[in-house]
Amino acid sequence: MSVDQHPRAGGAEGAIDVDDPSVPQFDLVRAGARRDGVEIVHYAPRFPVRGTKVEKRIERTIALLLTLSGLFAFGGVAAYIFWPFQYEPGPSASKLFTPLFGLGLGGALFLLGLAMVVYAKKLLPEEIAVQDRHDGPSPSDEQRMTSATLLNMVDETGIRRRPLLKAAILLPAGGIGVAAVAPLIGSLLKNPNDGHILLRTGWDPANNNGQKVRLTRADGTPIRPEDVSVGGQMTVFPGIPGGATNQYADSPVLLIHLREEDAATLRANIEKAQQTNSHPPVVQGMWGNFVAYSKICTHAGCPASLYEQQTNRLLCPCHQSQFSITNQAIPIFGPATRKLPMLPLELEDGYFVAASDFLEPVGPAYWERP
Amino acid sequence: MTAPRQRRPRLLSLLRRPAGPRSRVRRRLGAAVRLGAALLIVGGVYTLFAPGTGASATDDPAQAQAVAEGRELYENACITCHGRNAQGVPDRGPSLIGVGEASVEFQVATGRMPLARHEAQGVRKEPQFTRDQARQIGAYIQSLGGGPTLPDPEAVPNLGAGGDPARGGELYRVNCSSCHSFGGGGGALSSGKSAPGLEHSTDRDIYAAMLTGPQNMPVFGDNQLSPQEKADIIAYIQNLQEDPNPGGWGLGRLGPAPEGLAVFVIGIVALVITTLWIAGKS
Repeated sequence: MSVDQHPRAGGAEGAIDVDDPSVPQFDLVRAGARRDGVEIVHYAPRFPVRGTKVEKRIERTIALLLTLSGLFAFGGVAAYIFWPFQYEPGPSASKLFTPLFGLGLGGALFLLGLAMVVYAKKLLPEEIAVQDRHDGPSPSDEQRMTSATLLNMVDETGIRRRPLLKAAILLPAGGIGVAAVAPLIGSLLKNPNDGHILLRTGWDPANNNGQKVRLTRADGTPIRPEDVSVGGQMTVFPGIPGGATNQYADSPVLLIHLREEDAATLRANIEKAQQTNSHPPVVQGMWGNFVAYSKICTHAGCPASLYEQQTNRLLCPCHQSQFSITNQAIPIFGPATRKLPMLPLELEDGYFVAASDFLEPVGPAYWERP
Repeated sequence: MTAPRQRRPRLLSLLRRPAGPRSRVRRRLGAAVRLGAALLIVGGVYTLFAPGTGASATDDPAQAQAVAEGRELYENACITCHGRNAQGVPDRGPSLIGVGEASVEFQVATGRMPLARHEAQGVRKEPQFTRDQARQIGAYIQSLGGGPTLPDPEAVPNLGAGGDPARGGELYRVNCSSCHSFGGGGGALSSGKSAPGLEHSTDRDIYAAMLTGPQNMPVFGDNQLSPQEKADIIAYIQNLQEDPNPGGWGLGRLGPAPEGLAVFVIGIVALVITTLWIAGKS
C-alpha cells in the first residue's frame, strides 16, 4: 500500500487505537515502528499494477534459480553416494569426487542465496525508514529516582548505627581477599622450572634406565658415523620405545656431517663462546666433524630441516628463520631469536649416543623459560 | 776355428760363440742384454697377471671411446671454467676431481651445466648436450678422479623399478619434503636459491642428485639411503609425477602460500563484491 493510500491516521504523532479492528494493517505496522523510534517515510510496491510481463519475467528467473539450487543439491548428494571415491594411482574418475560434491553443495547454497537476494531487490516493496539517534544519558527524573533507591538500600540495613557489625564484616573481607591473592603470590615465590616437563626431552638418560640414549633412524636402527656422508644430514630420533612418535615430538634432531674447514670454524666458535660466561653453558657437543641440533625451531616450533650444505644454513620453512650451523645455530635471519639447542654427541660401541639431554629447553619460548 | 780337422758347420755350432776369453766390451754388452731380457720377462709376467685398476678405461674399448669423446666435449665446453685437467679455475669453477660421472651426468643432462652466468644457483635450463654426450663427459671426469657412478641405462632402464612407493613416501616426507614440498613442487631457500620442482626429473637424475648432493642439496650417500631406499623414493616421486591433482589444479604444488593467495585474491574479492551488491541501494 502506498503512502498515498494510507494517510497517516491519528495526525502527525500517529496515535491510533490499536484495538480498533477497522484500522488497516499497515497503520498498525507504522504505529509499531514508531514506538521503536523508527519512522517509515517512503513505502511503495515495485509493481503497483499486478501481473505485468516484467514482474512475471522476474518471477520466472527466481523460480529458475531456486530450481537450479535444488538440482545442484540433489546432484551433489547423488555424487556423494554413487561417484567412485576409492584412491587409484594415475588418472581416474575418483579424482573428481571431492570437486563434484563441493560443486553440488556450493552451487546449491550460492543459488539459493542469489534467489533470495534477487527476490528482495526486485519483488519486495521499496522502503525508506528513518530512526532518530538515541539520546545519551538517561532522563533526569529517572536518574533521581534511581539514586534515591540506592541510598535507601543503605539506610534500610542500618549499618551506620551498628558498629559491632561494621567491625565484624572486616574479618571475612580481609580473609577472602588474602585467599584470592595467595595463589598468585605463591607462584612468584616457588620456582616454576623445578622438574618442568618442558625442560626434559626424550634424550634424557632417565628415559633409558640411566643409560645414554642412542641416536636412531625413524625405524629404530642406530647410527654409525659412516652412515652420514660429508655434506649430508640425517633426521634422528631417541632410541627409546616410542622415540619416533608424537610422544617425544620435542626430540627430533638433525645430525650433520660438516666439511673439515666448516667443522674447524664451528669448533673455534664454540671455544670462543665458552669463554664468555653465558647461561645456559655452551657445550662442546661435536664428535669429530659431526654436530647435532634440535630440529624444533625456536620461533614457533616448526621442524627446521632445510639444510644448505654449501652455505651451512638451516632454514625453517614456516617463517623463514635461518640458523648458521657453523656458529652454534644462531639465527641470522627471520623471526627466531634464540639459537637451536645442540645435542652433545658421543660414540659408544661404534654408535652415536647423546651424552646428555639438551642444556636448554627446545622450541619456542614460554612464559617462565629460564 | 783353428782345429786341424774340418767339420761341416752344424746349426748348433753356429750358435755357439767362438772359443776363447771374451773381451771386456763383449762382457758388458752381454750383461746389458741379459738384464734387459730379464726386465722384459718380469714386466710381461706382471702385466699378464696383475689385477686391473678400478677406473681402467683401457680395459673396455667402448669405455675408452666414451672417455675420448668426453674429453673432446669437455675441452670444447667445460675447460674454460674447470681447467685443463678438471682441477678448477679460481673464482670461475671448482675442481671436478672426485665428483664422479653421476654428478656430471646430472648437471649436464638437466642443462644446469654449462652455467649461463654466476648467480645464486645454477638452474635447470635447455640442455646443451644429449644424455649420451653427458655420460661421455662423465666417463672422462670419472677417469680423471673417480667418484660416484650410476648403473648403465641399458642394464637398469628405470632406477625406480622394484621400489615401494609407500615406503618411498615415508622416506620422502622425512628427508625431502621440507625443501621440495609434499607434492614435489619445490620450494624457496635462502638468498635467491631454491629447491627445484620434481615434475620433470627422470629416475637417473633423481638418483644422481641424491647420491651426489648438487649445489646446496645435502648428500644422501648409499650408507644413509641404501640403493633400495633410493629406488623406493624414485618410485614415489614417479607416482607423484603421474598422479593428477585431486580437485583439478595443484596451484604449482607449492603448498599453503599460493593456496592462501588464491583464496584472498579470488575468493575474498568475490565475496566483497557480492556483499557490496547485496547491500547496494535497490
